[in-house]
Amino acid sequence: MFQSRDVETVALAGIDLKVEAGDFIAVMGPSGCGKSTLLNLLGMIDESSGGQYSFLGRNVCNLSQRQRTLLRKENIGFVFQNFNLIDELSIWENIELPLVYLGIKKQERRERVARIIDQLEISHRKDLLPIQLSGGQQQRVAVARAIVSRPKLLLADEPTGNLDSMHSEEVMNILNQLNKKGMTIVMVTHSQYDASYSRRVVHLFDGQIINENLNHSL
Amino acid sequence: MLGNFLKSGFRVLLRQKNYALLNIAGLSIGIVAFVFIYLYIQNEIHYDRTWNNYHHLYRINEEYSTGGKVEKMALTPFMLADRLDSVFPEIIQSTRLFFTDPSDKNSFSSVKYKGKMYEIPNMTIGDARVFRIFDYHFVEGNPDSCLTQPNSLVLSSAMKKEIFGNQPALGKKVKTSLREYRVTGVFDNANRPSHLNFDAVVSANSLTKEEQEGLHNNWFWINCYTYLQLADTVNLKQFQTRVNLFVNRSIHEYVKQEGLQIEGTAKMQLQPIYQIHFSTGWLYDSHTNTNSSYLYIIGIVALFILLTASINYINFATARSLKRAREIGLRKVIGAFRKQLALQYISEALLLTFTAFVIALSLVEIMMPTFNSLVGKHITLVDSLFSGYGLLFGLVLILLMLLLAVISGSFPAFVLYALQPADVLRGNNLFLRHKSNQRFTADSLRRMLVVIQYLLAIVMFISTLVMWAQIHYVQHRPLGFNKNNVVVVNSPADSSFRGRAARFVAALKEDSAIKSVTTTANLPGYLCGKMLFSVGDTSEPHFQTINSFVVGNHYFEMLKIPLIKGRLFSIKKEDDSTENFILNEAAVKFLKLQNPVGTELNTAFTKKGKIIGVVKDFNFSSLHQKVEPLAFILRPKMVQYVLLRIDKDHKRQAISYLKKTWKAFNPAYPIHYTFLGDKLDSLYQSDQKIFSIFFYFTIFILLISSLGLYGLSAFLVEQRSKEISIRKVLGGSEEQIILLMVKEYMALVLLAGVLAVPLVYLFMSRWLDGFAYRISLSPIYFVLGIVVVALIAFVTVLIQSYQIVRKNPTLSLKHE
Repeated sequence: MFQSRDVETVALAGIDLKVEAGDFIAVMGPSGCGKSTLLNLLGMIDESSGGQYSFLGRNVCNLSQRQRTLLRKENIGFVFQNFNLIDELSIWENIELPLVYLGIKKQERRERVARIIDQLEISHRKDLLPIQLSGGQQQRVAVARAIVSRPKLLLADEPTGNLDSMHSEEVMNILNQLNKKGMTIVMVTHSQYDASYSRRVVHLFDGQIINENLNHSL
Repeated sequence: MLGNFLKSGFRVLLRQKNYALLNIAGLSIGIVAFVFIYLYIQNEIHYDRTWNNYHHLYRINEEYSTGGKVEKMALTPFMLADRLDSVFPEIIQSTRLFFTDPSDKNSFSSVKYKGKMYEIPNMTIGDARVFRIFDYHFVEGNPDSCLTQPNSLVLSSAMKKEIFGNQPALGKKVKTSLREYRVTGVFDNANRPSHLNFDAVVSANSLTKEEQEGLHNNWFWINCYTYLQLADTVNLKQFQTRVNLFVNRSIHEYVKQEGLQIEGTAKMQLQPIYQIHFSTGWLYDSHTNTNSSYLYIIGIVALFILLTASINYINFATARSLKRAREIGLRKVIGAFRKQLALQYISEALLLTFTAFVIALSLVEIMMPTFNSLVGKHITLVDSLFSGYGLLFGLVLILLMLLLAVISGSFPAFVLYALQPADVLRGNNLFLRHKSNQRFTADSLRRMLVVIQYLLAIVMFISTLVMWAQIHYVQHRPLGFNKNNVVVVNSPADSSFRGRAARFVAALKEDSAIKSVTTTANLPGYLCGKMLFSVGDTSEPHFQTINSFVVGNHYFEMLKIPLIKGRLFSIKKEDDSTENFILNEAAVKFLKLQNPVGTELNTAFTKKGKIIGVVKDFNFSSLHQKVEPLAFILRPKMVQYVLLRIDKDHKRQAISYLKKTWKAFNPAYPIHYTFLGDKLDSLYQSDQKIFSIFFYFTIFILLISSLGLYGLSAFLVEQRSKEISIRKVLGGSEEQIILLMVKEYMALVLLAGVLAVPLVYLFMSRWLDGFAYRISLSPIYFVLGIVVVALIAFVTVLIQSYQIVRKNPTLSLKHE
């Protein structure tokens, strides 16, 4: 529930969702139904006003902010619709940033980043600034940043929302490959096409899950 | 990690060049002003604190009361020190320096060496112990013995260099018009701020026997500064009481012995040497003395400048950091702890503050010569930082730099970190999501800052206006005599000049551009003497001290001083130059004379005379003082100055002829002359100095306030860009919208103006009370001050508002 001055808005209510390791879940629904709120709660970047949330066997609601930050940075990666790269840092430095915050030594950081940018075929752009890249390239960098710390869970909030169809497909293929290698992905999307890459589709409406089905299109 | 942060910080600054420049500029200006003021105050408070044992050094001042009048003098009789030495074992040692008048910049002593004449600006006479008490560093000679022998001369290193170049000076001989001296020492007076201002000292025992006779016997020949070094166990109050008893007893015995009819009381005051520079109540004191309250005022202003610059910096930095909320939220999502973010943003802020400090100190160094010339000092930044409290000051600067970085860097790290990352990444308006009272607090603080800054700016501006008006007034107010086109020529340092002065004057009169010429020993604007006078023929004369001017023939006609009663001095009347006096109105009133002309008037030491005339009061000293009683004595042979009234339309011709004639009569001596008007203006030098300091401070404060307002208004107007765009789309004109933006700030500036009025009134009334003749505090100064400052603020905000308002509204709305 969100509160702004005297106005209360119920964003989510009665959500009962289980995400298994290796899942690829698409969360769909009309604008304002609570999809992003759900994602933010899963990623511990927002707090619920009630209920319970257990992540890797730990009750998140009982944790302090520091503990949540620690849990998040070790296990969760984020991909945003508007990329959210830091404009003053180069591509290499953007991707390296989570490893810096994890306290990983310089040598290992170098190796991991090099591996990831090779994997995502952006090594020739490593010294450029985000502003010098196209939308699709920026989103690749965002994905690289999200996975460089080898998270168990990847949360993607409309990852193709600002991309054209060609680049959208590239990004979705990357997510698909990651999932095949065992990464758990929860993705918010408006696009049926993007949802078709997932194994499960959860439909939200007015803050509640109204439908959940397995995706057989794969 | 730190390298990562600094790299990121540097790039942020490059990307936000304008913001960085504004913020650095504002902070740098504040630091520059603060550092200069600190250097000035440090130099001032260090006056006479660099001597060894300065805590035990005192100057004796004398208050002499007679006839109901009290004369407070920094001078004492020459013999006082010897007499006290012989009676009081508490005195470890004492010394004396003869009085000279360094305020007369054209007064020089001259010495000849190898056929060439050199001028020494301030040469004085001192006894053998001068350099034992005042421990100057000696580059040549022995300070303990350099003045023990007659005809010894000790030079400053600057004078030594001028006369002898790089050759050693010790043992060399130079000549004045009176005698030959041998150089026995060279002292270095660098980094020794002191009320002492001499360039050379000759030994007191160089004077002739006749000259010394009077010095050792006459309690009323008050002519030198006496300094004592006391034991640290002395009870000062008791010692002073005992000295007073001794001195008064001695004076009483002297008066009785000499058969003088003088009744008075002397009160000797022991003044700690480090307080001399701040005393302004003693006659014949150092002309560089200043009022200590000015230092307090300047110090407070300096703190305010630094405070407003610092708060400006923090305010602006924290406001700008809201733009980086998204980045902060993202870093938090990626995994940054609060501490890591704090370190990052503090590092960035430190980069900015460090840059500002480096620029500020560089500017200080570059502007130092201008500053030194403005305040009449020789300060260097490096010496100041490594002497006295310099290291502490350096530490304060470093701490300030760190504090500013921590405060401005902490805001994004702590305040913005506390926000939910989901909100900031979504781009929610942080102002709405804040609690309303938090938003209110932030806005109120910013408004208060604007009011405080402009309050200070308006106070300074109006004060500067009033000071300018008062100085202009004192420089142009009629003084009761005609100072226009009067040239004052200093006599050469040549005792034989008196013998040819009359011929020199006659030669000058031959040029048509020179209308009249006379000689004199005293002039308006220069120091005058004091004498003891009594009225009437009585066996019990009642002596009173009156200022005295020793003048030459046609003095009153030359300066057009109106006669009220009786007659002026006449060269035809022989007793005019031996016995007779002229008084001013104030003297007549002081002596309570009903019919002054013809009244007998006597001095304590010479034969009886009478009053032959009364002239109208005129201002012969600065307009800080009312016209005091003044007696004129005619002595045409006592020539200190030659006065010329020249034709204003032929000034060049007159000066050229003067120089030519001077050279013919005094070929070995350079001419020194000034216009009397300029000399009178220089009486207000310390007021001019304070005015200049206030003037530049006002500019500093206006700059800082304007930069702060410029930056802040830029940010806040940008925050309202959506609102502006909507208003434009709905039909609002640019003028209406600009007015909306601007009027909020103008209200704050006008509030500052209203608050400034009583403060300025209080402060400037007190300053003006220091003048006997002053302007009134007209409302026009207040109105003008507020209007000008408000106009500057208006233009500052207008520029910013205009730029934003002119933007295409769709650019703002599209982002939404």
